[in-house]
Amino acid sequence: MNPAIDTILTAETPEGIAISIRPAGFAVRATAFLIDAAIRFVFLMICATVLGAGGGFGSGARFRGGLFLICLFVLNWLYPVIFELTAAAATPGKRIMGLVVLMVNGLPITPAGCLIRNLLRFVDALPLGYAFGIVCILLRNDSRRIGDLAGGTVVAYRDDVQPAGSLAAADPIPPPTVLSTRQQIAIMAFGFRVGRLTPQRAEEIAELASGALQDTPARLSLTARLVGVARWLHGDRAVHTGAVHTGAAHTGSAAP
Amino acid sequence: MTALEFQTVHEKLWAELEQAVRLPERQLDPQRFLALYRTCCEHLALAEARGFASGIVERLSIVTARAHQIVYRQSDFGIARIARVLLNRFPTTVRAHRGYVALAALLFLGPALALGFAVYHKPDLILSIVDAGTATKFEKMYDPSNEVLGRLRDAGSNWMMFGFYIMNNITIAFQCFAAGILLGIGSVYFIAMNGAFGGAIAGYVASAGFGGTFFSFVATHSAFELTAIVLCGAAGLRIGRAVLLPGRLPRTTALELAAKDTSVIVFGSAVMLVIAAAIEAFWSSAAWLTPTAKYSGAAVCWILVALFFLRRPYAD
Repeated sequence: MNPAIDTILTAETPEGIAISIRPAGFAVRATAFLIDAAIRFVFLMICATVLGAGGGFGSGARFRGGLFLICLFVLNWLYPVIFELTAAAATPGKRIMGLVVLMVNGLPITPAGCLIRNLLRFVDALPLGYAFGIVCILLRNDSRRIGDLAGGTVVAYRDDVQPAGSLAAADPIPPPTVLSTRQQIAIMAFGFRVGRLTPQRAEEIAELASGALQDTPARLSLTARLVGVARWLHGDRAVHTGAVHTGAAHTGSAAP
Repeated sequence: MTALEFQTVHEKLWAELEQAVRLPERQLDPQRFLALYRTCCEHLALAEARGFASGIVERLSIVTARAHQIVYRQSDFGIARIARVLLNRFPTTVRAHRGYVALAALLFLGPALALGFAVYHKPDLILSIVDAGTATKFEKMYDPSNEVLGRLRDAGSNWMMFGFYIMNNITIAFQCFAAGILLGIGSVYFIAMNGAFGGAIAGYVASAGFGGTFFSFVATHSAFELTAIVLCGAAGLRIGRAVLLPGRLPRTTALELAAKDTSVIVFGSAVMLVIAAAIEAFWSSAAWLTPTAKYSGAAVCWILVALFFLRRPYAD
């Protein structure tokens, strides 16, 4: 596997499976940050209006003044901590942008990780306008800022990649040669993706696999033949409408 | 077995798990859920090893990833857990970092004492730390003729000051910790600066003859406040050292471990600072309490804090 081809992180679980984490890049995180900043600003305005409503110099006004300073502190330091420890594991801005905060080993975020990543926000914000954080995010493949590195966290996309859809329709064709597992996977992946390609492009790609299509019915397009092989590999043995070849031709083919 | 047969045989289990991960956590049957999760993990591993179609592998990856998040979610944020962290892990961790704590205390007390004595004997020196207006303000704050101490008469009530102390002091403590990642220099700077500032103000106010009100004012809450700031600084020094001298670990791993170890110190310190803010706003500032009462309270608080960190911890 080539690590440079994309930014996906894989984390192995105790159950022996690998979880893919897709780290969110600078642009989407900056947007989430701006949304959060706007929410905090609105909230601060509400606090100022409600708590400043009484006016005057009475003890009530001073009590509200103290409460306002506490609100300021909470919004400043604890806003992300509180939201990231909820079940959504994201601040409202991140949630809107479809992001979630995870531990870098794929586990849900822990209280310690959350606290650290958000306290070190102070360092990421140095010397001006989140400069350290931005440089760190841009330099790293996994887009983690200094706080993420210390907390062992990563901001990732929440929504899963949608499954490739269904296998395209064609009559199954037994593979004429023995195919390795990798080749089988590639051919089946083609079968699933062919619906999203233009016929011309599909034919071009199918041509790359023409070595695996010897002795298949030549009057069908390469695409149809390759999809046919994919269907057979997938386990489809039924001959559909307009059968091209007889069942007898299949017997004796090596099943994978 | 072909992919299609594999899917036909196990389809029901996959669908059941897919439905279960969408349910609220409370409605799940834990045993059934865990069994389903493990089975689907097995199926995923099998499907990958056999090179089954991407549709099956992707579907199983998605549902197992979802279930993994649910299975391993730490949902125990109860009072009991927080109390356990604060009462056991916090002092234990502080003791385990006693070298850093001693260094941070030295970095704080050194400049504080040096500037305190210097400013006491030569009050003009205060102007190299703060401007004249601030110096006068501090002098007025501790004038014994005030009915409340530690603030200007028009600054606001106890509640106002409580809010201010929380915001100001916890921010300072958090900075002492976070800045440590800059090779420890940030922590050294913030600890020494705060020490120097406090020392200079103390020296200046004492030289003006208001030492009695000033020291009785700070004695009680400083048990929590100064300790907490020194502890946060010590935590900052630890993460600074991890970055500077990671030893045999990769730098990021050393940093991650140091931050994980010390996060409980920062959490505990924040709680101590809330206590300090309450004492400072409601007890320390009360002019009707005699200095004797305040010093007695201070002695109790210092002893409590010392005992808290030195006592033998309960079994976790």
